[in-house]
Formats: sequence, structure tokens, C-alpha cells
Amino acid sequence: MGAIDGILTGFEVAFSWQGIMFVLLGVFVGTFIGMLPGLGPISAIAIMIPITYGMDPSLALVMMAGVYYGAVFGGSTSSILLNAPGISGTVASSFDGYPMAQQGKAGKALAIAAISSFAGGTISVILLMIFAPMLASVAVSFGPPAYFALMLLGLTAISSLSEGSTIKALISAVVGFMIATIGIDPQTGTARFTFDSANLLDGIDFLVIALGLFAIAEVCYLVMNRHKSMGGSGKDIGSLKITKDDAKEMSGPIGRHSILGFILGILPGAGATIASFISYITEKRMSKNPEEFGKGSIKGLAAPETSNNAATSGAFVPLLSLGIPGSGTTAVMLGAFLVLGLQPGPMLMGDRPEVFWGIIASMYIGNVFLLILNLPLIPYIARILTIPRPMLISLVLMFSLIGVYAISFSVFDLYLLVAFGVLGYLMRMFAFPAPPFILAFILGGMMEQSFRQSMTISNGQLSIFFESNIALSLIALSVLSFAFPIVKNLRGKKKA
Amino acid sequence: MKKILALTMFAMLVLFLAACGGDDSSEEGNTDSESEGNGSEEASGDSGDSNGAWTPSESIEIVAPAGAGGGWDTTARMAAQTMTEEGIIEQDMGVVNKEGAGGAIGWAYMAEKAGSNHNLFVSSSPILLVPLNGQSEYGHEDFTPIANVIAGYGAFAVAKDAKWDNLNELFEDMKEDPQSVTVVGTSSPGSMDHIQFVRFAKAAGVDITKIKYVSAPDAGGVTQVLNGSADVYSTGVSEIAEQVRADKLRVLAVTSEERLDGEVLSTFPTAKEQGIDETFVNWRGFFGPNDMDPAAVKFYEKKFKELSDSEAFADIRANYGWNEMYMGSEEYKEFLDKEKQNLKEILDELGLTK
Repeated sequence: MGAIDGILTGFEVAFSWQGIMFVLLGVFVGTFIGMLPGLGPISAIAIMIPITYGMDPSLALVMMAGVYYGAVFGGSTSSILLNAPGISGTVASSFDGYPMAQQGKAGKALAIAAISSFAGGTISVILLMIFAPMLASVAVSFGPPAYFALMLLGLTAISSLSEGSTIKALISAVVGFMIATIGIDPQTGTARFTFDSANLLDGIDFLVIALGLFAIAEVCYLVMNRHKSMGGSGKDIGSLKITKDDAKEMSGPIGRHSILGFILGILPGAGATIASFISYITEKRMSKNPEEFGKGSIKGLAAPETSNNAATSGAFVPLLSLGIPGSGTTAVMLGAFLVLGLQPGPMLMGDRPEVFWGIIASMYIGNVFLLILNLPLIPYIARILTIPRPMLISLVLMFSLIGVYAISFSVFDLYLLVAFGVLGYLMRMFAFPAPPFILAFILGGMMEQSFRQSMTISNGQLSIFFESNIALSLIALSVLSFAFPIVKNLRGKKKA
Repeated sequence: MKKILALTMFAMLVLFLAACGGDDSSEEGNTDSESEGNGSEEASGDSGDSNGAWTPSESIEIVAPAGAGGGWDTTARMAAQTMTEEGIIEQDMGVVNKEGAGGAIGWAYMAEKAGSNHNLFVSSSPILLVPLNGQSEYGHEDFTPIANVIAGYGAFAVAKDAKWDNLNELFEDMKEDPQSVTVVGTSSPGSMDHIQFVRFAKAAGVDITKIKYVSAPDAGGVTQVLNGSADVYSTGVSEIAEQVRADKLRVLAVTSEERLDGEVLSTFPTAKEQGIDETFVNWRGFFGPNDMDPAAVKFYEKKFKELSDSEAFADIRANYGWNEMYMGSEEYKEFLDKEKQNLKEILDELGLTK
């Protein structure tokens, strides 16, 4: 069967009435779970596995895929309104989304997020459909040295994530790195910094840190400053309307980050979280007004929102075309394949075209549903902000605690959440920026592992980083991106 | 000052909330074990009535010491489902995931259930290896082995165009220069993927202390062998079967005694037929807590045998690529003791025991 026939079969599955129903169900559950801070697609899909046993595999998987990208779509809502990331992929969306909501433009922020998500999702599905079979080789082209170089490139952005003191940003990043080393070290099997506590053997979950540093710290801040009136006070939702100028501002980042996010999504291990951060940073670097970022920039919201949705589609490339899961969520989906009696792997496209193409085709419908589902709801959802502040704060606190508890049903994680909340508040009081901390934590673990994998493979020869073309070009980019601000600075001084 | 006071109060409030959660769950645990205590009394009452046979008097909880969707979870769910559907056990069977620390969190939870007759859990080789690595207080000695049910086998795969045609050629190269070959697996050194390879290398006479092993989580092992970063992928048979069918990887050897069944699987040579006398089985079975009533052990042992012999479970085995491997409680315990001794020797030689 040729690819065209396959695609047609896929559309038949996706556009059958059962197909449409299951997509709708999937994206509805996904977007709802995504909105609740802490609850993510992994647990939702895991819960669904026993239910789908015996179902038509393509319909079951169409629904699970819907939960996955639906959660990424909906995850931005609580990032924007409450500074409490719904899922890990939407942490970067709060950098500019939350300030926007604080300025009384919550409606607009949510609309921008919804439209960017839709565009990122849809453009990347088109890319997925055209290139999925060919991109399989891209997904496996990154060896450990290339991953190390990619993480290095991401880290050069720490300086651009900081406001004010670079030293404070670096301190913040180093602490993030240190936290990333907690747990069993995969390369030696040794427990590091666990203090003989079994609770720390798996390291600290990203969401514990994200919710602590953002949501709980924000709650502390609001409680401490409860007598001050806060700027736009959040009571005002503002208009949903996106003006022509806004649309113009969004179009650049949407185009760029649909592609960048998709490519980063393809790489196993990178995923939506890393993609959204890298897109945010890239956009800030490219911007003529980088000082607007972090204060409610439209570009700063559109870039990560486009990117995380595009990366989600990208993550289906290694899963569907190679049977390689690149993230926790896709690993659970791989388990679902097996439960449904399918063998995910390079033969899936030929053996079961209705599954392979059905999932991809259903994403078009899914993204349209998500837009229809989310846009009219914005005024109602945004009204969360009109809840009296004491109640709102309690709600955020409650949802953060529930969300963290749901990760692994561990009470210990709740203590950690509180500890990181207090740390986040202290960092804020003393003007240590949190984003470099988060970035170093995400990239640090992978960077260390890929560095040490490279070292083992090369018997300790550093030259391994200069042998692969991918690694070499990424390292060159890192050096450039490090040198660029310095050169710019020197030039500026000369002129002055 | 006022601010700091307020902050402290706030922190205390949150801690209080969190602690409440903690109390709740531990209370829940207590009531559970209390009711179980009652249950077993009742049950022993029952046993007096009917020729000393024990039967469960309440629902049975099966713990999968890992997240949903993995091997332990699937085994627990499929066993519970089949036993209910086939009417092997009439009481409700619920599967609970106690995820974390490679199983240690789940085992610690089960250790608290000592004496209960209504709590089971599923485990495999990690319950021997993780305690040897010093990462779990509890090992198989702290529980009651009930029955082994299934087996999986490992495989050593290389890229399609690799220079080795069989396991001996690989080991010959490694004997000359162990550092010239990189082995990749999913889990860390001292765990299954690593140890299964080491066992065969040792049998072939390779210096096992010099083997280069890289751990690549998130299925990075396939990627690394496909792009040539690593040479040999040590993993489970089912993880690579599709890659072999797609002609991307080749299998140098499976760790089973005899060739496996299946269109693709039967093409994998065993190490034995290549003259390396070693096997490795990833057994998987069910355990009860310490001090389980011997009558209850007898009961479950018999039920798992029925499960293992049922046609419904045979279909499930075929579906997941599992192999049949039943062992009753006594035999299982002996097997585990021997296997642990065996693994300990290897880990000692590698300097990985704590």
C-alpha cells in the first residue's frame, strides 16, 4: 500500500463518526486535565489503558493522542491565569502570560495562547504527515555528543533569561544544576545526595520544582503583600480581541516556532518542555525589544505556546515510525500500543496503516476541536480571576498540592513542594530569577548524562565532541551565541 | 518582623495541610491492615470449618511496584483480570501502583503489610539486584515467594551492518580489547540489562571489570545502536523484535536455553548453540508479605497454577511475548536464593555490591 492510500485510510478512520467522537472525548479530557495545575497527560493516559482494553486500537489511540496534545493545549491556561503551570511544557508560557493577565489582559493572553497553540499544532501535523516516514532517520541521528552540544546551546541562554544581575542568574542556575544531580546516577547506579531516603532515589520531579518556584512562591508573595493593591488587580479580564497589530506580532513567532518546536520534538528526550524554553529564548534573542520580554510581551507568549504544541506532534515521529518513546508520556502510550495488541516499531506504518495514519489525521480534527472548545470558554475561564483573592489563593494552593500528590502519591513530595515554594519566595525577595534555575534543572540532567555517555564511549577523549558534524555545528552556535552579546556590548561602548 | 512571622505561620499552615494528608494516608493504611487482621481471623475461623483450607474473606490488593503501563503493572493487571474473568478467584482483585526507586518504594510498602493474607505483589529480577546494589532495605528474603508465573528473555542486538556475525566474534574482539566495544542498556550498571551481558561475557572469558557500559534511559539504547554511538544493545527480546523485523538491528544471541517460538524470535540463535554455556531468564512472579499464613500461601499457589494453565492466560502470554514458567512457593524460594548468590558473585567481582 502506498503512502497516499495510507493517508486516505487514515482520514477514513479519523472522519468516521466514532473517530470524531473519540477525538472529541480525548481532547476534552486532555484540555481539562491540562488546565489543572500538576495533573498531566501521563496519569490521564495511564488511567485510560485498562479502560481501552478490547477497544478498536486505532480509535483508542486516537483518543489517547487527543489527551496528550489536548493537555499541552490546555496547560497554558493556569500558567497564564495563576502562574501555576498546568503541565511541564507550559512553564515558559507563564513568563509573559502571567504578567499579561496581571495587567488586566487575561482574555487576550488566553486568546493568543489558544491561537498559537492551534497554529503550532496544525502546522506541525502537516509537517508530520509529509515528513513522518523520512524524519525517522533524523530522530536517531543525535548521538550523546550531539545531545550534549544541544543542551550546551540551551544553557548559553541563561544570561538572556535573567533580569538585572547576571551573577544572581548564574547562582540560580548552579543551584538548579545541583538539584538535578539528586537521585540514582544512571551511569554508575550510585545514589547521590539522597541522604539514605528512598523518596529521593528517583530525583525530584520537575513539576514539584515548577509549581513550588512559581505557584507556591506567588501565593507566598500575594499573602505577604495582601494589603497592597496590585496594578491591574486581575479583576479586569480585558477584551479577547486580537487587533491587527497583535496578529502581525504573533505571525512571526508562530511561523518560526512551529518548525523549531517540531524539530526539537522529534528528538527523543528533548520534548515540549525543552522546546518551549528554547523557543522563548530564541525569540527573545531575535527581538528588537528584548526588554519587553517577561513583562507581558505578545511574542514572548506566542513563541513557547506555538513551540510546545508543535513539539508534541513532533514526538509522534519517533514513536510511530520507530517505536522509540522520547518522553514519559510517549512511553506510556507505547505501553498502550502493546496492551491493544499492536507492535510499535518501524513496521507499523506498513502493517497497520489505519493506526499510523489514523492518529496523524485525527490531529487535524483534534486541533480544530480544541480551538472551538477553548475560545468561547475564555471569558468564563478568565473569570477565575474575579474570585476574591483569599479564595483564589487557597484554590491555587489546593490544586498545587493535589497535583503534586498525584505524581507518585508521595507525601514527601508535598514537603518538597512547600520547601521549593519558600525557596522561590526568598529568591524573589532577594531578586534571584527563577527561570535560569528551571532551565538548568531541565537541561542539566540530560547534559550531564550525555557528557558522561560520550566520555565512556570515547574512553575519555574529549575529541568525540568534534567528530560529529551535528555536535560540531551546535557547539559553534553555542560559542557564537555566547560571544555575540559581548561583541555587541563592546561595539556599543566604542560608539559611545 | 511581622512579615517573617506571617511567612512562618503560612509555612506552618501548609505543612499542617500536608501533614494532614500524611495522616490520612497512614490512617488509611492502619485501617487497612486492621481490617485485614480481622479478615485473617475470620478466615482462620473459616478454615476450621472446611478441612483446613483457607479462602480469602475480602478483596485482594496486588501491588505493582512501578508505574502504569510497564511490565510489572501489565503482569499484575492481566493476572487479576484473568483470575476474575475465569472465576479462578471470586473475591475482587485490585491493582495498586506503588511507583518509585526501581521498586524499593513498593517493597517498603509491602514490608509494612507483614502477616496480611490479602496483599500480594509482583516482582522480577530487580528484587534481587536492587538490594544487592544497596538501594533497597528489603529483598526477596523479607517476603513470601508464592509462585512464579512467566519468563522473559534478554537479547544482545547490534546494528544491521555491524562487523560481528555471532556472539563469539564479538567476545573474541572483547577479549583482545574490552575497551573497543560499547554496550548500551536502559538501566544503570548493576541492574538487569548490564548484568545479563556481563554473565555471558564472563562465561566466554572476557575481563568483565573492563566492559564499557552506558546507561541510556527513555529507550535511548535503540537510538544509540542505530546511529553507531554504541555497539551492542543489551535488552529484552520484545524490545527489539520489531527492529529486527524491519531489518534495522541483528540479534547475536538470546539468553534462553532453547530458541524461542515465533516467526522472528525463532531466528535468534541462543548462546548455548554458539558454545557459550550460560542462560539468563527474567522471571516474573507473585509474592506475599512476610509471615503470610501457610494455608493462604497454599491457596494462592494453587490459584496461580490454575491461572498459568488456563487458555485465557496462554493467549495473554502470546499477546505480550511472555513465556510460561511456573514454580510453586518452595521451588521458587530455592531458585531465588540460588539466583541471588549467583548475581552477588558477579556484582562482587564488578565491585558493585554495597
